[in-house]
Amino acid sequence: MQYLGVPDAVLMEIGSDLGCCRRALEDLGSAVIEACTNAMEHGNRLEDDKDIEIIFEIDFPRIVVTVLDHGSGFDFKGWKPPDELMRRRGRGILIMREFTDVMEFDHHQDGRFLIRLTKILDPAPEDDDDASGQPS
Amino acid sequence: MKIKERRCDGVAILDMSGKLMGGPDADAFSETLKTLVHEGFRNVIVNMEKVSWVNSTGLGILISGYSTLRKSGGELKLLKVSERIENIFIVSKLHTVFQSFQDEEEAVRSFA
Repeated sequence: MQYLGVPDAVLMEIGSDLGCCRRALEDLGSAVIEACTNAMEHGNRLEDDKDIEIIFEIDFPRIVVTVLDHGSGFDFKGWKPPDELMRRRGRGILIMREFTDVMEFDHHQDGRFLIRLTKILDPAPEDDDDASGQPS
Repeated sequence: MKIKERRCDGVAILDMSGKLMGGPDADAFSETLKTLVHEGFRNVIVNMEKVSWVNSTGLGILISGYSTLRKSGGELKLLKVSERIENIFIVSKLHTVFQSFQDEEEAVRSFA
């Protein structure tokens, strides 16, 4: 779990090179952190010998991040946002959905479960101090 | 995640730093709150200024802390939440639960 920040850092680095809006990049980063959290907790059940794979595909302004785990997945077609405000768990899918343009669940041909997150990144305004790569 | 404790006018302030993401963080935060309640501090401000991000498991840690303090007759409030983390609170509707401040004095006074 201590490496959950790595894909977020990779995204910030990519965003720094692309010069895109920091807000959109942070939103995507939050969604990817959730995807990785899900993959580790629910997919791999926190078993140390199981890895997760993260694939970044960039076709600016579109960026696609795919997270694969060794779990069997879940009934995503039947998923509905839980309605109990004070529940302690169960917000990951909601965060992924709200912070991305497209959220897809599928199985890889090798059987692994995957979450694919797509975000269209706006370019940062020229005078934007908020551009990615700047400390938040 | 690291937690540093301060006291101000009968209110405990927890200066958090790092990433709030579950695992050992949950135990550390829960134990800190239990100790504070045992010492008589039921009103707690969680200073998020140096928290870089929170995931859904981290939200659960805050909710658990909020419930613990409410059961003890106190409250948990947030200080200096970044725009990034605030966005997560908004989409999960938790901004309607947690009172949040940008000014520490104002946050402390809110318990009076």
